[in-house]
Amino acid sequence: MAFRRQIVRATLQNANGNNFAQLARAGGRCLSSASPSSSAAAADTPPQLPPFDHQPKPYKGPSAEEVLQKRKTFLGPSLFYYYQKPLNIVEGKMQYLFDESGKRYLDAFAGIVTVSAGHCHPEILKAIVEQSELLQHATTIYLHHAIADFAEGLAEKMPGNLKVVYFVNSGSEANELAMMMARLYTGNLEMISLRNAYHGGSSNTIGLTALNTWKYPIPQGEIHHVMNPDPYRGIFGSDAAGYAKDVEDHIAYGTSGRVAGFISETIQGVGGAVELAPGYLKMVYDTVRKAGGVCIADEVQTGFGRTGSHYWGFETQGVIPDIVTMAKGIGNGLPLGAVVTTPEIASVMSQKIQFNTFGGNPVCSAGGLAVLRVLDKEKRQQHCAEVGSHLIGRLGDLKEKYDIIGDVRGRGLMVGIELVTDRKEKTPAKAETAVLFEQLRELGILVGKGGLHGNVFRIKPPMCFSKDDADFLVDALDYSMSKL
Amino acid sequence: MQRFVARSGLLEGGRRRAQSLLRSQQQQKQTRYFAQAAREKEIANDVLPKMPPFNYTPAPYTGPSVDEILAKRRQFLSPSMFYLYKKPVNIVEGRMQYLFDEGGRRYLDGFGGIATVNCGHCHPDVVDAIVSQVKRIQHPTILYLNHAVADFAEALASKMPGNLKVAFFTNSGTEANELAMMMARLYTGCQDMISVRNSYHGNAAGTMGATGQRSWKFSVVQSGIHHVLNPDPYRGPFGSDGEKYAKDVQDIVDFATTGHVAGFISEAIQGVGGIVEAAPGYLPAVYKNVRKAGGLCIADEVQSGFARTGNMWGFEAHGVVPDIVTMAKGIGNGMPLGAVVTTPEIAEVLTRRSYFNTFGGNPVSTAAGLAVLKVIDKDNLRENASTVGAYMKDRLTALKEKYEIIGDVRGRGLMIGVELVSDRQKKTPANAETLHVLDQMKEMGVLIGKGGFYGNVFRITPPLCFTKEDADFLVDVMDYNMSKL
Repeated sequence: MAFRRQIVRATLQNANGNNFAQLARAGGRCLSSASPSSSAAAADTPPQLPPFDHQPKPYKGPSAEEVLQKRKTFLGPSLFYYYQKPLNIVEGKMQYLFDESGKRYLDAFAGIVTVSAGHCHPEILKAIVEQSELLQHATTIYLHHAIADFAEGLAEKMPGNLKVVYFVNSGSEANELAMMMARLYTGNLEMISLRNAYHGGSSNTIGLTALNTWKYPIPQGEIHHVMNPDPYRGIFGSDAAGYAKDVEDHIAYGTSGRVAGFISETIQGVGGAVELAPGYLKMVYDTVRKAGGVCIADEVQTGFGRTGSHYWGFETQGVIPDIVTMAKGIGNGLPLGAVVTTPEIASVMSQKIQFNTFGGNPVCSAGGLAVLRVLDKEKRQQHCAEVGSHLIGRLGDLKEKYDIIGDVRGRGLMVGIELVTDRKEKTPAKAETAVLFEQLRELGILVGKGGLHGNVFRIKPPMCFSKDDADFLVDALDYSMSKL
Repeated sequence: MQRFVARSGLLEGGRRRAQSLLRSQQQQKQTRYFAQAAREKEIANDVLPKMPPFNYTPAPYTGPSVDEILAKRRQFLSPSMFYLYKKPVNIVEGRMQYLFDEGGRRYLDGFGGIATVNCGHCHPDVVDAIVSQVKRIQHPTILYLNHAVADFAEALASKMPGNLKVAFFTNSGTEANELAMMMARLYTGCQDMISVRNSYHGNAAGTMGATGQRSWKFSVVQSGIHHVLNPDPYRGPFGSDGEKYAKDVQDIVDFATTGHVAGFISEAIQGVGGIVEAAPGYLPAVYKNVRKAGGLCIADEVQSGFARTGNMWGFEAHGVVPDIVTMAKGIGNGMPLGAVVTTPEIAEVLTRRSYFNTFGGNPVSTAAGLAVLKVIDKDNLRENASTVGAYMKDRLTALKEKYEIIGDVRGRGLMIGVELVSDRQKKTPANAETLHVLDQMKEMGVLIGKGGFYGNVFRITPPLCFTKEDADFLVDVMDYNMSKL
């Protein structure tokens, strides 16, 4: 513990004894057009944010302290936040956020992989504002074109016979619905999900979620958590066959031999940007279908072109699921989720009434359709591929330089950097991650954190993130790590 | 009946006596009676009631037609997605208590997007709040600070009695009830949850279990739920004797559980179930029993909350203070938003692990929520719901005297139900007539809802800016169409 405290102290003071934080602020506020330095030398001056032509509105609302006090009183002790000194974010524009003093930050986390097109993207704003002024809500008991147009737009992006769309309000709701569909369609109860997965926090989805920090002790029933095909930490490395066998074993020994379904993310989000070992899903989908189950792809984080190489995460594994769930990026921040499936599976739901009051409301549908259009028009998928590979390339170089970087992984703009204190043992470098996390914020970069041990940086910015932003991020990481 | 009296010369003397009786009452009441009589006369003479005037022109609509939309719905949306009416309405614009179709035709919204649009469609204060916030920032998540969620939570807490002052924000009523149920189970360490037959609480696994109507329940595993007798004054075996129904709860606790339960959840007035208000005395008795068994009392205010019943919360009329309150629908005037409000002690259970809702508490939804609370006060919606609601209920009760088919008129504030039966003794549901009148009313410009287990109850839950004139129009149109049955 003392050793760790030393690290913290050391990083907060440079050789001259000046406060590191002050230095960083001085550097960060300077919006010159100087291009960021290369990784050749970890400079003594911290790298600077790329220039950005936008003036935030002056903020006259409550201060950070006031807000924090109210949160503590009225939002309950379980509500957590990032950073020792939490950030009061009052404005956003594309890939940048602004705090109460007008300071700009590079948003490398996109409100948890949610702001896909960019904060306050003008075209999406236009759609939302126009619709809000016409009609916010009437429900689907009446007709309205927005939900129908959006459903069509979404279905067009889907392979195979995936063309029936259900609209809900969140990822949890989407996964709940998908799980219920799987059980009803197959007549079986057993569900299979991956260890280290996150699928939601409601009654059924909390069972699918497989990270103890997110699971409350309530009955989960009939869920099997199989070995995670984790190329970095998994026992079989990148060899999918070993992991796929675990699914067979669970079915053969832990169930009646017949299952309801299998659900997985293609790149685990909360679990720390863990990409499934190549070839895994093909084998598992086969196994599961042989056992009568359906295959659910949770695209809440990987969807809409974020992976760069493909529009949907599952496409990177060369499979076509039976049910696809999505949320987060689907509405650039609007409370919106969706489930897409085949007409056959959808037909079992017509036996009873299934209704979602807010689902498919005109404003969210109009916003969602605008997001689809913007991402296509601005060629965001291709952009993710280009900027993503540049970013991953530079991070790979950084890994050569610093032992603390155990793994760099991901695809497109869904990237993870795992920090370890020992490359062989892969001991999670929790303290160092926490320190660097704070330092990056001081330098003007907001990243995310993940993994069961909280030792993975999650880099999943709005998809308008540029090469310059990527360079700035890597330089800042380089700079901070050199001070460790 | 006045229609008969007006026509028959034999009863001329009787009519004059009635008129002089009326003249001796308050001037206003007189005026109203005469207006009513005039309307009745018009209905008798086949003169159509007129919608109150409204100074607003909707924008011209150039979007897809009804047929195009229907085709896309059939192709791309759930096959179980239904719509009201033989000829569905394409609603393209809304303003306060009115909706407009593609042809610019105005309708009186007697359903409020299912008791959701409380302030009024596109209420300028709420739209202002949404638009100014969305232009600033839509979604940072609560990992960072933002004043909107904190201000809204504070304002919400100030509307709550007792020690109910910690809020959790979700995106729907289902999510709110799911969270409430989990909290009750964690707090008590017990699994058994009690809910009421004929209730509706949501469509996720736990809440579908709590829901007490088979048409809304798929075959899910429901572990630990017990559905008790519905304290239904109209159809229940004990009429309005709330305490007798409460005994069923004690029975369940004694014989179906370990004697300790996680909690009890109920709506003060069942919405989907057909505007069934819990018999008086029920909730106080049940709350007492449940608390004795260590359980928490959850009030589902998704439909009855936010001034709809004339009070801020439905449970207020029953003289109880719950341990957890869930809300959605009216909370944001249509924004996807839900909330759970509870005490700091109960809220503490979630600190045992991490609970997080990505969209929950986002600045735009919470800005809308705060605007709604302000509008409720500024536009005096509690008072309006109470006054106009009582007026409408009176008129509907008078209609009940006129038509045998009306079995019951019930509700509170602007949450009113009219149950149609083909036999008053047997209370045989009159489904076909309900559907027919619903359809005909829409043809005449009035949109209301349908509910109840048998689908034979009109649900009238308009935006709370609904006026007496609107109420008159609604009742007259109902009167007219029932006269044609």
